[in-house]
Amino acid sequence: MGPGRLRRSVLFTYLRSMAVVVCVWWAVSLWLARPYLLPPPATVASAAFKLLTSGRVAAAIAVSGQRLLISYVLAAGIGVPLGIGMGLSRWMADLFDWLIEMVRPISGIAWIPVLLVVFGVSNALPMAIIFYAAIFPFILNSASGVRHVDPRLTSAAQVLGARRWRIILTVVLPAVVPDIMTGARIAASNSWMALIVAELIGAPNGLGFSVGYAQELGNATLVLAWIIYVGVCGYVLDTTLHWLQGRLTPWRVGLKVGG
Amino acid sequence: MAQATVAQRTVAINLSDFSGIRSVVRMALPLSLLMLWHLLSLGWPRSPQFATPLGVVRAFFELWAKGHLQAGALISIERILAAFTLAGILGGSLGLLMGYWPALDGWLGPLVHTLRPIAPYAWIPLVILWLGIGDAAVISIVAYAAFFPMTVNAITGARNIDRNLIDTARVLGASPPTLFSRVFFPAALPSLLVGARLAMGSAWIAVVAAELASGSRATQSAMGGLGQMMYIFYAYSINLNYIVACIITVGVLALVSDRLLHALYRRLTPWARGT
Repeated sequence: MGPGRLRRSVLFTYLRSMAVVVCVWWAVSLWLARPYLLPPPATVASAAFKLLTSGRVAAAIAVSGQRLLISYVLAAGIGVPLGIGMGLSRWMADLFDWLIEMVRPISGIAWIPVLLVVFGVSNALPMAIIFYAAIFPFILNSASGVRHVDPRLTSAAQVLGARRWRIILTVVLPAVVPDIMTGARIAASNSWMALIVAELIGAPNGLGFSVGYAQELGNATLVLAWIIYVGVCGYVLDTTLHWLQGRLTPWRVGLKVGG
Repeated sequence: MAQATVAQRTVAINLSDFSGIRSVVRMALPLSLLMLWHLLSLGWPRSPQFATPLGVVRAFFELWAKGHLQAGALISIERILAAFTLAGILGGSLGLLMGYWPALDGWLGPLVHTLRPIAPYAWIPLVILWLGIGDAAVISIVAYAAFFPMTVNAITGARNIDRNLIDTARVLGASPPTLFSRVFFPAALPSLLVGARLAMGSAWIAVVAAELASGSRATQSAMGGLGQMMYIFYAYSINLNYIVACIITVGVLALVSDRLLHALYRRLTPWARGT
């Protein structure tokens, strides 16, 4: 089976499953006959299309995407160096370990009421929650990555006369990239979920807010249309990171993250 | 493997760590942050809106004495248990079947992998429209969130079973029920338990999310679950001390349930070490 044939067959199984879902949805909506609870797929599709052409989808995605990107990059920028430092130095690990282990069991979402008091319904709230949700996977995976670097590699570099910093930059860092990418995918999935909830409860705009607002209007059609866009964005995000993981660490493809 | 990296990282605190200079370094940051918080709070205006370390402790005992904390925790725990059982049975059996029969995987696999990256919380508004803001709504959201880690790990578990084991048992004349209970299920059990543990983690996050969201849409201040309690403390009394006390309770409960499942994993599958 050639690669083109394989791809076509994957697409085929995908479309086949989706077609079944749409048919079941349509049948149930007919049987239920309560369009204000479960509108038929065609109604939702046309509402989704209207949202798209009105530019509201693009606006919501832009707002949410900006929040996600800024907080995620910040979390990576702080989490990865901190994790690598904790992996390299026992002192740093000792200093931060307990703090991290004490705070980590508390999910980002649980902080929402506190931040509602501190920031109110605002742009800062989802951004803070996303940052919190994303930073721990970055720290933990970078730290464990550094600890699990093959000692033969570092010893070899040492024997060949490389200095400490040279070893860190040219041996340890490349060896940690797969772990950082694993952390990056977990962080992305965590922060994506945190984004939706934070916006649902404490933001004046964005994707999560839009789903919640449609619910407050009591409009199931709009709710479903927005859920489709949330789903598409989540899928694209996950697929992009999976692709990036394959590109950056081609020797470690096939890993599954999340669940 | 990758999911295990984070989820199965054991808590760094154990008794042997409480010795010598290391423990001083370890406690330095948490303690100094706590002291800093306390000192800063002395300068804050005396208002319940500002949480203080002592205020949180006081809030915890007050909520405990009034019985609110236990009542809220009980509701959340009941919801989690119901949802976890539901997700465990549905996700576990579906995942095992999908891992065993590639044909079923072909039909349902795309569905699972498309729905999985969607935040379960995007469904909250729809579920509220359908089921209101009570037990049923929260349980469905939590079950949905717990379903995916359970299913994905069950699929992996069933798929990775050594086919030789099954063929051997079949050749030796094992009946289908025996085959399942003596060969298939034990071989998939480690994966199932890893899935259960991840599912429990997702469930605790989801229960707070669902209760917060339904609390923020409640028309009257119905007490229900720790998440709803937190929202009520925000919306009706803006008392951060109470909120932080609830958050810590949720964190501790989540941690305890995770440790319990980990202990179960080690107990039931002693052959699957290395985690």
